[in-house]
Amino acid sequence: MKEIVTIQVGDFSNYIGSHFWNFQDELLGLSEEPHGDPVFRNAFLDMDVLYRTGETQQGIATYTPRLLSIGFQGSLGSLSSCGSFYDETSSSDPSHVITWTGKITRQASKPCKKNLFLKSLEEDEHRPPLLDSTSVREDYSESEIQDKDRVECLQNCVEFWTDFSKVHYHPQSLYELNGLWTDILEFDNYGIGKDVLLSCSQGEEMKERLRFFVEDCDHIQGIHFTVDDSGGFSSVAADFLEHIADEYTNTPVLLYAARGPKSRMDENKRQLVFRALHDSVSLTKLSSFCKLMVPIGLPSLSRSKAATFLSIEDEKPFHCSAVYAAALNSISLPFRMDAFGSSAASNYFSGAIDMGGLVYMLTDQARQNSVAILDVAMPSPPLTGEERKGSVLQSLHSLTPEVAEDIEDAYQVETAVIHGAIHKGGRRAAVSEVKDSFYEAYESFPNKPLFSHLSVTQSPLPIPLPFPSIFGSHVGPRGELLHNPIPDSQPRGSLNIHSIPMAARLRSSNAILPYVEKRLTNLQRFGIDRGAPGSELLRSWGFQNDEVQDMGEVLSKMAMTLKPHSGMSSDSE
Amino acid sequence: MSLRLLNQNAEVLNKSAALYMNINAAKGLQDVLKTNLGPKGTIKMLVGGAGDIKLTKDGNTLLKEMQIQNPTAIMIARTAVAQDDISGDGTTSTVLFIGELMKQSERYIAEGMHPRVLVDGFDIAKRATLNFLEQFKTPVVMGDEPDKETLKMVARTTLRTKLYEALADQLTEIIVNGVLCIRKPEEPIDLFMVEIMHMRHKFDVDTRLIEGLVLDHGSRHPDMKRRAENCYILTCNVSLEYEKSEINAGFFYSNAEQREKMVAAERRQVDERVQKIIDLKNMVCSGNDNNFVVINQKGIDPPSLDLLARAGIIALRRAKRRNMERLVLVCGGEAVNSVDDLTPDCLGWAGLVYEHVLGEEKYTFVENVKNPYSCTILIKGPNDHTIAQIKDAVRDGLRAVKNTLEDEAVVLGAGAFEVAARQHLINNVKKTVRGRAQLGVEAFADALLVVPKTLADNSGLDTQDVLIGLTAEHDKGNVVGLSQHTGEPIDPHLEGIFDNYSVKRQIINSGPVIASQLLLVDEVIRAGRNMRKPT
Repeated sequence: MKEIVTIQVGDFSNYIGSHFWNFQDELLGLSEEPHGDPVFRNAFLDMDVLYRTGETQQGIATYTPRLLSIGFQGSLGSLSSCGSFYDETSSSDPSHVITWTGKITRQASKPCKKNLFLKSLEEDEHRPPLLDSTSVREDYSESEIQDKDRVECLQNCVEFWTDFSKVHYHPQSLYELNGLWTDILEFDNYGIGKDVLLSCSQGEEMKERLRFFVEDCDHIQGIHFTVDDSGGFSSVAADFLEHIADEYTNTPVLLYAARGPKSRMDENKRQLVFRALHDSVSLTKLSSFCKLMVPIGLPSLSRSKAATFLSIEDEKPFHCSAVYAAALNSISLPFRMDAFGSSAASNYFSGAIDMGGLVYMLTDQARQNSVAILDVAMPSPPLTGEERKGSVLQSLHSLTPEVAEDIEDAYQVETAVIHGAIHKGGRRAAVSEVKDSFYEAYESFPNKPLFSHLSVTQSPLPIPLPFPSIFGSHVGPRGELLHNPIPDSQPRGSLNIHSIPMAARLRSSNAILPYVEKRLTNLQRFGIDRGAPGSELLRSWGFQNDEVQDMGEVLSKMAMTLKPHSGMSSDSE
Repeated sequence: MSLRLLNQNAEVLNKSAALYMNINAAKGLQDVLKTNLGPKGTIKMLVGGAGDIKLTKDGNTLLKEMQIQNPTAIMIARTAVAQDDISGDGTTSTVLFIGELMKQSERYIAEGMHPRVLVDGFDIAKRATLNFLEQFKTPVVMGDEPDKETLKMVARTTLRTKLYEALADQLTEIIVNGVLCIRKPEEPIDLFMVEIMHMRHKFDVDTRLIEGLVLDHGSRHPDMKRRAENCYILTCNVSLEYEKSEINAGFFYSNAEQREKMVAAERRQVDERVQKIIDLKNMVCSGNDNNFVVINQKGIDPPSLDLLARAGIIALRRAKRRNMERLVLVCGGEAVNSVDDLTPDCLGWAGLVYEHVLGEEKYTFVENVKNPYSCTILIKGPNDHTIAQIKDAVRDGLRAVKNTLEDEAVVLGAGAFEVAARQHLINNVKKTVRGRAQLGVEAFADALLVVPKTLADNSGLDTQDVLIGLTAEHDKGNVVGLSQHTGEPIDPHLEGIFDNYSVKRQIINSGPVIASQLLLVDEVIRAGRNMRKPT
């Protein structure tokens, strides 16, 4: 077994993570359900890759994500940072202070109210399991109404990422940074987070917690790292990544640099320079300490092509993060395919690959590009064969911002995951059919990549109850695309849609060139050039002139490797 | 105003309003921390939105837990926290001192005095106070055999302000012994060599010093011994897990057989490394009943664990980086980075190695070592917030002992220094200053009294009575501090109340700097984002 440790740094990453773990929880639940859909029961996904088994001091067995989540103080909402499993049930009253005999003052902040969804989760746990089936049915009709309320309450009032999480976390998993004394709104640039890891106790604590999870692994296959790239967390992450590269040298890191769609109103010139420099510095630093970096987060997801069948409200991180989480989940499926399962397993999946393999495949080919693009088709179109050739390929749209479209790249390397694909009529497609149609599509595709790896499984993406209602009216209950939209104009969510087929793809291509080049020119214009408006700013972030020069060189090297050799198609862009 | 032309949204506070904003912020912060000070202070229990409990009497911890928004308060808080980073204590005193300086200044400014003049006075007073501190401090000769009693008194003074007396006294012994254990002649003291480990188990009084090391993980194989005596310890940083090398990763083999071969070859390399360790074990342990323990910084995968277990070796993987250093100091031997040239000289020795399991948490104790230069303070407590509070106290205690060893001096506590310094400023220094800067010196001198005043206040005594009593006694030529119990003047030397010289020095140094900066602010501008939304 090869374990993955997941690290989430920053608020938006935690939103994505919360959805991600909800999917895993749903998959776990569905695979254990005796009368459930067989594609979930036979998913052949090894959940131990992401989860760890443990035991509380009272001897109760636990199964929790192998996760380290780092957030801002107070970003956990109503969830206690000790998690919910390992509750202290010590006999002594916690409010009794045994270390001080003098006066005691108690300062309680207003308790965070649990929303309807979290309350009902709590109740579920305390309710004894129902035995006879009749009562189940009665209960069902009752809970139907409740489910609707719960979904609605989430739709309107998600404030913290914990508000819609149904997963239990290990007490070592949740870490809050304190003593920063800034508003979360002001924690928005590279410089401000720079000293967090240096301030001894906090950095030490984060490293210790990571070590706790790594020590637990028999054979770690990689670290799944998501960072909120839009603020001070990117420098926290950069320092942390440096430590990882140093301490766990041969462990591959797959880094998603996520960015929430922020409304950037009334920005003046200074703030633009601020932003631009943050982006440049962040890209340089983050990419230098990881094997593969995937920037995700479109400025306006709702209007992008990736959201053709979705109806998303951009200003809600609850909505946007769901799409990114779904894509991340798809990409992570091949890491968990049980490679040594029975021979029957090959009917259910193919294309298992571990994280190291994937990272190596994308980065070490013809060019050494370490910044990849994430494409997604949510839901992926039906596998119709004759009618629409290459429909899966055409429906994949980028979640990475600022990429060039329709470029030819003879050196493109990609890895795709298609899971839960269905035929037009709604029948599940067999693994071999998916594979055939995928390769067939490439035959007719004008620019074939240099190398392409495909992973397929039959199990679609299950939609857990706390998933936001973001599906458009063209999506059917099993994620099929309907010709005639459902008349109800409301966006549809977990109550109507149970699962959707997904396709996702990571590609290393020169389509990322505009992304890199923009950061390079910004750094030159605002940071390096004589009299640049941002050089003072960079100094205040602790970068000396030569360091900035070095960063410029790193970026230009990155851009160089991506430029088509001998100007093949540089004019056509 | 010209700024309005540039940015209509800018908010401007003019001279006196800006000054009062700063003064009020400083006073506000002072009020929050005031009750913390001294052995009669109040402990604070902070309950978070989700019911998390934090317990603290430490100014530093409290400041970090507060979500301070006011820019002036943030500035003061940063200074105070920096104070803690540099000298390990004195956060509360710094905040109190800055607040009091501002408060005293307020009086004079209200009477029409220019802040600049006050600041000049501060500067003179600061230098005079620092000079006075040099005379006032009590030198301690540390040499090879430091005076344990002095160290204990300093540690006790710190700890008694954080924990109840019996526990404080117990920890005093532990902390002083801990620091003396890691102290090496001619080398700076590295407090990281005292490991602080905690267990949620039993009671606070079960906290103890272990002359050895406690690791927070155990062996990962069911057949390995849980307890072993007379152990050779191999400290190493060698990967004992099968890693794909860069070259054969992925898909460069053309058939399954080739792949198998590659894997087998890789595996063999790891096995060879394991074998070398086993060979060493057989060499040193044959013919006697000694045991062998491997503590590795890198990973050890199940097949390797299996081989080691079969050879009767206890193996721990992924040890903390710092523990590599500590292990060598505890057990002797050296940390090896490769297994190629293993000799028995690399090995350390421990009389006893055993594992303690609490739920899923495992602890490995390495004890009964010959000549330890590193040790572990094992903190126990019934719940997390109790442990956290003891941990903070232990850290402060360690710093206090370290400071004493490095300063080779201590300062009489219980407000004695502050009273003496104040009288010195008023009686001697003030006369030498010409002009209105005198008033600055006076403000500074009065601000120093904030420490005895707060101590008296926290003990429920009348501050006026206490101050009059103290100054009167001082002017008779005695060095006096404040008795927490009676309010009577006492001799802190007899009571064994000592503070760190470097902490005091740092407070005198940094307090006036910040206060001066704040006083000289004559305009506060907030431009740009003013739609700050409370989080």
